[in-house]
Amino acid sequence: MKVFVLNCGSSSVKYQLIDTDLEKMEKQQEVVLARGSVEKIGLVPSSSSYQVVQENPLFLPQRQSKLPPPEKETVEIVDHIAAIRHAIKCLTNEKTGVMRDAAEIQAVGHRMVHGGEKFKKSHVIDKEVLRNIQECVEFAPLHNPHNLRGYYATYDLFPNIPQVAVFDTAFHQTMPPYAYLYGLPYAIYQKHGIRRYGFHGSSHRYVTYRVGQLCGVNPDQLRIITVHLGNGCSMTAVDHGKSIDTTMGFTPLEGLLMGTRTGDLDASVPLTLMVKEEISVAEVNAMMNKHSGLYGISGVSNDMREVIMAATEQKRDRAKIAIDMFCYRITKYVGAYTAAMGGLDHVVFTGGIGENSPLIRELSMRNLEFLGIEVDSQLNKMENMVEGKISKGKVGVWVVPTNEELVIARDTIRAIQGVNCS
Amino acid sequence: MTVRNLGIIGGGTMGGGIAEVAAKSAINVVIQEPTVALGERAIRGIAASLDEAIAKWAITESEKRAILSRIKTTDSYKGFEKVDFVIEAIVESTEKKAKVFREVSQVCPPEAVIATNTSTISITYLGAQSGRPKQFLGMHFQPPVPKKPLVELVRGLETSDETLQRARQLAEVMGKTAIEVYEWPGYATTRIIIPLINEAMYVVMENVASAADVDIAMSKGCGMQKGPLHLADEMGLDAVLAQSEHLFRELGDLKYRPCPLLKKMVRAGHLGVKTGRGFFTYNHENKRE
Repeated sequence: MKVFVLNCGSSSVKYQLIDTDLEKMEKQQEVVLARGSVEKIGLVPSSSSYQVVQENPLFLPQRQSKLPPPEKETVEIVDHIAAIRHAIKCLTNEKTGVMRDAAEIQAVGHRMVHGGEKFKKSHVIDKEVLRNIQECVEFAPLHNPHNLRGYYATYDLFPNIPQVAVFDTAFHQTMPPYAYLYGLPYAIYQKHGIRRYGFHGSSHRYVTYRVGQLCGVNPDQLRIITVHLGNGCSMTAVDHGKSIDTTMGFTPLEGLLMGTRTGDLDASVPLTLMVKEEISVAEVNAMMNKHSGLYGISGVSNDMREVIMAATEQKRDRAKIAIDMFCYRITKYVGAYTAAMGGLDHVVFTGGIGENSPLIRELSMRNLEFLGIEVDSQLNKMENMVEGKISKGKVGVWVVPTNEELVIARDTIRAIQGVNCS
Repeated sequence: MTVRNLGIIGGGTMGGGIAEVAAKSAINVVIQEPTVALGERAIRGIAASLDEAIAKWAITESEKRAILSRIKTTDSYKGFEKVDFVIEAIVESTEKKAKVFREVSQVCPPEAVIATNTSTISITYLGAQSGRPKQFLGMHFQPPVPKKPLVELVRGLETSDETLQRARQLAEVMGKTAIEVYEWPGYATTRIIIPLINEAMYVVMENVASAADVDIAMSKGCGMQKGPLHLADEMGLDAVLAQSEHLFRELGDLKYRPCPLLKKMVRAGHLGVKTGRGFFTYNHENKRE
């Protein structure tokens, strides 16, 4: 079954066409047919990238470099529906397409950022589901409206095929109340739904599944800490297959230090700032989300590679502090989550930084020998380490490239077939 | 129909502010100015305003670049052939505005809506000059546009419901709350605030209370965010006087007669924040001392 996986942002659409069904899932014979993206939607010009893949997603990390480079072009794309039309055009192109006709698409899977408390798993989108997603817009005003735009656009194009919503928050719905509640009056939680939701669910879920596969033990029998370090960063305590705590909270601002986000912060700081700097709610929000984190501390960049360069080659003190803060918080949460789970079997690094920065993996795991965590520096620094174990201690430390698209494609199939999605 | 391409005529404080907010809302903007140099000045003005926003942590450098990349300028009407909506924001001159509307309606697509930012000139008259009175209305933004979230949508005699609807939609996309008013001197905001400011000045002139105490009374006692005299200083006392005289002339009622103290201060050149002195004094950062 060909599943069209969509991730719609404010000005971008990322997509994959994945061939999968329940049997192929079982036998691990799924194939990513092609993938691409349209960026800068609404600007002149927009840019498009498209790549034929034809690979099993689980073998993909090792073979990335052998694929022909993606085709890039500049196009004029006015909105999300035009972007999706363009994607379909690429996928059905006579020379480079991977299907003859768009009618070969049998289902569409959408990434939805926020599912609130309503969605504990993925769902086929019907009127009721749609209404509930719309109610969650207030929780993620920067994301959910664009995710929905993608749904409306594909509904216009393919009114008769099933569409499934896969939520970033769903994986964390297993957290117990003592982990997800804030110490505010309980009435506030009841009235506004203000609590920890957590994000990056599909990524934490994928790497949990994958590490179980790599070490040959079902994650239901393991205590795993997943560390997703990308543009946004979050960690999750996955206790016997279930998320029991995660660092991001009501919004993706809480927890680890990120590219431009503060992470953990005393809640009275923004209130004080509004008075001292004479700034508004919107401005203090922008300060904490866009001017802070690695960028705000280092004054160099929000890109970890540049911050590391500034710290190591130019010996810039603030870049070094930014890296220390970044790694210290990871170390701290490993300790906290090990305590929360009463032990630890594996730590998994994923996301752009987690997959590509040996330095960050090493710095954030030192001081943790007492827990049985010992990173093997040779394995950690190996050039071609795209997926695998990098530790020699009792606790396994792993690098696993994330694959949210595969989770979405699989859930799409499961939701349509009425099989348990979690 | 959502607005993707917006034409703005005049890139001064108002036009530049409208352009900035539109581009921030992902709308492509083309600003018409009579000369290339004036077009460049308009962009510099917007860039300076964006720098202020960066200093206030509201946006980032890369957002500034993205916003500026959506704004083009022209000294003809190049680019206006594909706009969905036009907003005029040139000087308050009936003849100049009428001429602009006669010109622009020749260039922009027949379905485009044309709006004027005027606060004093008849929408019905300008609509007739544009040759498309049904698709014509007033959109009265408040300065500084990036900071004031209100716009008055002004109906002329023939403005259609659909036109009003499209303007309302544009306002919403730009993050502005729209209210609907009919063509009448001062609309709602000016008509109400000018007599209020004027009365505050009488209270000071008659030695009932000091300027500082009048402002405290109105902010602490009546829930205004800023006192009326500080507000007047920000608007510019010359502008307050001009609007007051306009209301007095058009509506004829004595209650709009400008306070003599206001006239005296304008004659002395104490125009408020922009000259560093009005009812209060201001430092080089335009902060009240």
